[in-house]
Amino acid sequence: MLKAAEVKRKDVLSQNIFAVTKGLESAITTEHYSRYDGLLQRLDPRVKLATFAVLTAAVSFTESLAVLAVMLILVPLPGILSGIRPGFLLKRILLFIPVFTAVIAIPALFITKGDPLLSVGGHTIVTVQGAKTAAFLVLRVTDSLSLGALLVLTTPWTKLLATFRWFRIPSLFVSILSMTYRYIFVLLHTVNNMFLARKSRTPGTLTAKENRKWLGHTLAATMVKSLHISEQVYSAMLSRGYRDDRLTITRFKLHHRDLLWLLFASTVLTLSVWTG
Amino acid sequence: MVNLYRKGVLAVFIVKHSSKEYGTMHIPDGYISPATAGIMYGAAAPFWFIAAKKVRKSLSGRTIPVVALFASFSFVLMMFNIPMPGGTTGHAVGGTLLAIAAGPWAAVIGISVVLAIQALFFGDGGVMAFGANSFNMAIILPLVGYYVYRTVSGSSSPQSARRLFAAAAGSWIAIVTAALLTGIELGIQPLLFHSADGTPLYCPYGPGIAIPSMAVGHMFIAGPAEAIVTGLVLAYLFKTGFVPAADQEQSGGTGRLHLLWAGLGLVALLTPIGLLASGTAWGEWGVTELQELGLGFVPDGINRLAGWWPAPLPDYGFPRMGAVVGYILSTIAGVGAVAAMLWALGKTLLAKGRRSEA
Amino acid sequence: MSDRRIDSIFEAVDLSYDYPGGVPALSNVTFSIRPGETVALLGANGAGKSTLLKLLDGLIFPHNGTLNAFGLALSEESMNNPDRVLEFRSSVGLVFQDPDVQLFSPTVWEEVLFAPLQAGLERQEVINRGEQALELMGIEHLRNRAPYLLSSGEKKKVAISSVLSLRPDVLLLDEPSAGLDPFSQGKLIDFLVEWTGNDHCIVFSTQDLDMVEELATRVLILGQDHTLIADGPPDRFLSDPDFLLEANLVHAHSHRHKNLVHSHIHTHRHSHRHDS
Repeated sequence: MLKAAEVKRKDVLSQNIFAVTKGLESAITTEHYSRYDGLLQRLDPRVKLATFAVLTAAVSFTESLAVLAVMLILVPLPGILSGIRPGFLLKRILLFIPVFTAVIAIPALFITKGDPLLSVGGHTIVTVQGAKTAAFLVLRVTDSLSLGALLVLTTPWTKLLATFRWFRIPSLFVSILSMTYRYIFVLLHTVNNMFLARKSRTPGTLTAKENRKWLGHTLAATMVKSLHISEQVYSAMLSRGYRDDRLTITRFKLHHRDLLWLLFASTVLTLSVWTG
Repeated sequence: MVNLYRKGVLAVFIVKHSSKEYGTMHIPDGYISPATAGIMYGAAAPFWFIAAKKVRKSLSGRTIPVVALFASFSFVLMMFNIPMPGGTTGHAVGGTLLAIAAGPWAAVIGISVVLAIQALFFGDGGVMAFGANSFNMAIILPLVGYYVYRTVSGSSSPQSARRLFAAAAGSWIAIVTAALLTGIELGIQPLLFHSADGTPLYCPYGPGIAIPSMAVGHMFIAGPAEAIVTGLVLAYLFKTGFVPAADQEQSGGTGRLHLLWAGLGLVALLTPIGLLASGTAWGEWGVTELQELGLGFVPDGINRLAGWWPAPLPDYGFPRMGAVVGYILSTIAGVGAVAAMLWALGKTLLAKGRRSEA
Repeated sequence: MSDRRIDSIFEAVDLSYDYPGGVPALSNVTFSIRPGETVALLGANGAGKSTLLKLLDGLIFPHNGTLNAFGLALSEESMNNPDRVLEFRSSVGLVFQDPDVQLFSPTVWEEVLFAPLQAGLERQEVINRGEQALELMGIEHLRNRAPYLLSSGEKKKVAISSVLSLRPDVLLLDEPSAGLDPFSQGKLIDFLVEWTGNDHCIVFSTQDLDMVEELATRVLILGQDHTLIADGPPDRFLSDPDFLLEANLVHAHSHRHKNLVHSHIHTHRHSHRHDS
């Protein structure tokens, strides 16, 4: 996540340039990993999506801290076997949201009512229940994030979209999802150029009010541009005979490794249900 | 009083750590129970269904490129840091802007799609919680914003200052409504879902903390950021002669629907008040503390109900049906009372607006 | 279209089109384009070149006058007939000036398959056409790439491939050489020259007089008043500097050679030599 470093930057324009650049970078890295020839990348995307969805649900349902802790260790393993640098995975999963959640969870240590865990001079400071609820929150968030990040990092976007279609997610949504992702990049590039052009023309710093006004104009111009692009895209679709958004070429084929993976995932699931 | 003070400090702490980021209202997985997540998917589904139908009808073949490009725009908008008066920066959702510019149903689908991308690629908002996040930010937010805009605009001339005001007001109300809803969804977690020894399994903060901390952050940072962005962008678009979708519809044709949604917006806005009352009645604090909190009015019904509500059944982590029914009843009662108040207020405002037009 | 004997591909009589708000884009344009022709569409910015190409592609319809394609009217009513649309779209392809609006799919491969899929062809035929279209532009290696990760030259090639997979008889190109480096421009011209054999027809708009000279068999020039001011073989106009100047296709300007300031006509043509 890009937020942590960004907060330090004082000037709003630089903050925005930073956010946009980071967004573009992150997508390119994701794209890079998803094309790598690794364990998870080789799985049938339907099997992968289904197992990851079920495991995410298990993380949500379980009432056992042990299961959540085991998952925390277990989930990143296949990712590392899939060619994803552990450092990158840690940064991607652990930075920001779990840290943020941990901060959010701190007060729960002290205010949750229950049995004393830490007492000073007869006053209960931390309760067992408080410690447990904080752990639940942080572990659940981290486990879910790891699962989501692994899925996206090891599945090319286009295969993920085809899988959504296969799971009968309405074509209208999948098509819009696909096109939205595509044009985010076009708009980000446009916006980035507008920011840089502004930066090159602004020797001093602007007041917050001037900045707001300028940002408003940038956004409005971007909106007008997006309207214009949508008209053009529609023409380009019509020009090539657009009739139906349900047509797709992708076909899936199951392999032995998919069955092995299913076996592994169901074992993890059974264990978590059995213990939790 | 010590308790109250502690709660205040806590709320400030949580607000401070949540308002800075645009993921504030994005509920990650782990904060809400699977049951809540499932219910929220269920609540969102009919809106998605209606939205798909309406959008296909109004945009026909253009649906995909138009909604997709609006969604891409909204993604970019959410990324922006908006400099706020006072030196901080805030993030906008752009839901009301989108609902005004593209129509409420296009906004419903567009923002849902943006939330899906944020959840998948950036971990902003969970996959299980996607239904809840969509319901708060992609459904209630644009619909409330849109109908406030339409109502406050009244019969004012297109591209007038009053419409800009209406848009800004709609944006603020919509984002605060969505934040309150989020606060409720988080706040009911420790009441409904905890283990046998009383450990909250999901969000550990009850409504008394979750609701005010969501509300305050959004009233003072995200809400104004949203209002500023909507106002600035629409002002620019008005100058270029752009006619937003919200102004293209004939007001006569959608009158009934309009009322229906205004009603829904009110319900959404008011639910937290009922819940705050009922939540605390069940929770750690009694009715007297609720009054200390500044909520002077506690409906008599709630006082009486408080007596016979059974406590949530600890062994299973689920409440008895009675508690749920009580909660719903008290919500309805609270909603009814304040709905009437707001309705009267709206009437006066509208009448004033019409006078100023004439 | 090969089964029907046709004398003209496009037949425009008194064609007029206004932008929303009544600003004229084209006024009373009359011409006819025959099979095998390569027509260059010239004119200053805003003369109506892109509008004319969109009219020829049946994306917008004339406000006045008539336009026939393959001997049948190209009108809003006729384009409501699905069979006619399928036939027309399979015969005519438009390459947009901005490849970003044309590349709306998540990968190059899906982009190239879009048109054949929408045309309802069989799976194997769709794949064959896609592969051939990539091969024609020499971009097989880009197959699994996402459009946002391509350079502008690569985007242009994918845009052309995405139209070639239709196997059209007529190729409409809006500023095909814009944004390409000289090497890629040369490759593009080579490809188009080769493609124009077999009664294929090309209509392209351009600002590049070199491209006109190397490719066009005929030139249509739109004036500032949005009327057709010239129609004929390219050498007749390209060798008439006064005419080019008048049509705003070239400009006179002053510049400095060492200490000598002089004025001359600038054609934006690069010098070149013939090897054979």
